[in-house]
Amino acid sequence: MSLPTRPLAVTINGHRRGPIDVPEGLMMIDVLHEMLGLTGPRLGCGIGICHACVVIWDRDDRTSEEVRTCITGAHFFEGKSIRTIEGIARRDDTGRVLALSPVQQAVLDKFSFQCGYCTPGFVMAATVLVERLARVPVPRSEVEATVSAALEPHICRCTGYVRYYQAVRDVILATPGLTRDAG
Amino acid sequence: MSLRRRRVLLVASVILLAVIAAAALALHNLLAGKSGGAIQAVKAPADVIARGRYLAAAADCAACHTAPGGAPFAGGLAMQSGFGTIYATNITPDPDEGIGRWSADDFWRALHDGVRRDGQQLYPAMPYTSYRGMTRADSDAIYAYVMQLRPMKVAPPVTDLKFPFNVRLSLVGWNLLFLHDQLPAVSTGRSAGWQRGRYLVNVLGHCGECHTPRGIVGEMELSRSLTGFALGRVAAPDITPAGLAARGWTASGLRAFLGGATTREGSAFADMRTVVALSTRNMTAEDLEAVTTFLLGDNPPPIGPSPFDKAQVQAATTGLGRSSYVALCSGCHGLDGNGVPNTVVALRNNSTPRLSDPRNLIVAMLDGVGLENFPHRKNIEAMPGFADKLSDGEAAELANYVRLTFGGRKADVTAADVRALRRK
Repeated sequence: MSLPTRPLAVTINGHRRGPIDVPEGLMMIDVLHEMLGLTGPRLGCGIGICHACVVIWDRDDRTSEEVRTCITGAHFFEGKSIRTIEGIARRDDTGRVLALSPVQQAVLDKFSFQCGYCTPGFVMAATVLVERLARVPVPRSEVEATVSAALEPHICRCTGYVRYYQAVRDVILATPGLTRDAG
Repeated sequence: MSLRRRRVLLVASVILLAVIAAAALALHNLLAGKSGGAIQAVKAPADVIARGRYLAAAADCAACHTAPGGAPFAGGLAMQSGFGTIYATNITPDPDEGIGRWSADDFWRALHDGVRRDGQQLYPAMPYTSYRGMTRADSDAIYAYVMQLRPMKVAPPVTDLKFPFNVRLSLVGWNLLFLHDQLPAVSTGRSAGWQRGRYLVNVLGHCGECHTPRGIVGEMELSRSLTGFALGRVAAPDITPAGLAARGWTASGLRAFLGGATTREGSAFADMRTVVALSTRNMTAEDLEAVTTFLLGDNPPPIGPSPFDKAQVQAATTGLGRSSYVALCSGCHGLDGNGVPNTVVALRNNSTPRLSDPRNLIVAMLDGVGLENFPHRKNIEAMPGFADKLSDGEAAELANYVRLTFGGRKADVTAADVRALRRK
């Protein structure tokens, strides 16, 4: 018995991939891992709770959001543009990393993680947040609450979150244009 | 006479009766009302307190008399009504903020007549309309239980409705029209279990307060008892014998559902999750059996055949609704709609897609469903909402696919139905 397939074409990290034949009921995490060689997004709970598997969906209106790939069918992404953790750092034409993103660097500098399984998810959430604040800054007094709200759905089982939250808060406070004075 | 004229007439008579009756009854109530007074010290035997605790759970006092994150029974929950926001009161024995100065007689009058200790009328958000059928012994036992709770010095927000609804005296007229000693039975039966079930459902459980349609002045329309009503965002479905049977509910399924399990027919969500968590799951096996005996009757109607139309189901397997289902739902609910045991509810034969009204299905798709904790460490994990991922048209197609394929219902949901339910 063979599974019915449909062609799937997705723009991932700025490169158009596919069309490839993908079984219709396959979740996106499986396609990323098994068919596209992108193993950065992690499969954790498999039921949309832990958020280790999220990718960034860049919508046509230039907003972006996290999507859980463990519970979202691959064909949901047909024709859409997404970023995975592999596409966050700046790279040269050969794929060599030139510079980590400020969020990635801060997470390293703060020793935010131990095992690192949840890290791709946290970095995606923080990246979406930083990009959103560049469009719509928040008062400095609300940064703490904003970071908490953005990272809250992500689950970490080793470190107790504090250093993730500190890292993201510091990036936001240190980056011009993400915050404004209250009033 | 047209329905409209009848309603106008009804409103007119409510006002007239209220004015006349208020003069007499309310004057009496207010004269008899008390403030201040001695702090009650209630000494009751342990078995009476235990019985009161059980009855308080069966009557689900805590569901409304507890604010989100607040101390149990300390009040503060905001209840939206068509007449304004009503705040539940503190019923812990604090002498100033709670009912610490109330006697057993005062307590009984609140439950039986809807009158506060100070003589003011209660709004029927407090279900004295159902509790009126309670025995004095049960009222006294609940009183004995709540009076030994730890007093909570918490002042809930004060209910402050706009005119004319802030005239509590008008409730005297309302009560003359709508307060009944006994609510009608929705099934037929004579057994002891059925009798006990009638008391548990109609009186203690006050099921009709949500499941019975309400008229224009907020009264329960008893001629349509338990046929379902949307008091809030999620509708309380039809729980008459015919309504339950049409959605495939059996006595054992209902018992399991009320006892706190996830069943073939689904798990409790929205307000009903609170009911199961705080109330029904604490009932004895005998009482749960009595509840289902009353809801279905001594001779339950045959379970409605799954009204699946094979040709339509086949046609639906290629549409846009199916694509959305595979993309957004199948990861958890499965391609075949069978869910994951104890983790994700099945959609196939689930009670919600089997409702003729698509409201609850659409609301669940748009808003998602919160995490549900049930006894014995059973969790139904939170379902995300898809309001931002589905257009009105796509959501309607998806709802139709789920209704047709898993619920055996007509694919009659339109984009306008979805638009009407989107949060503003």
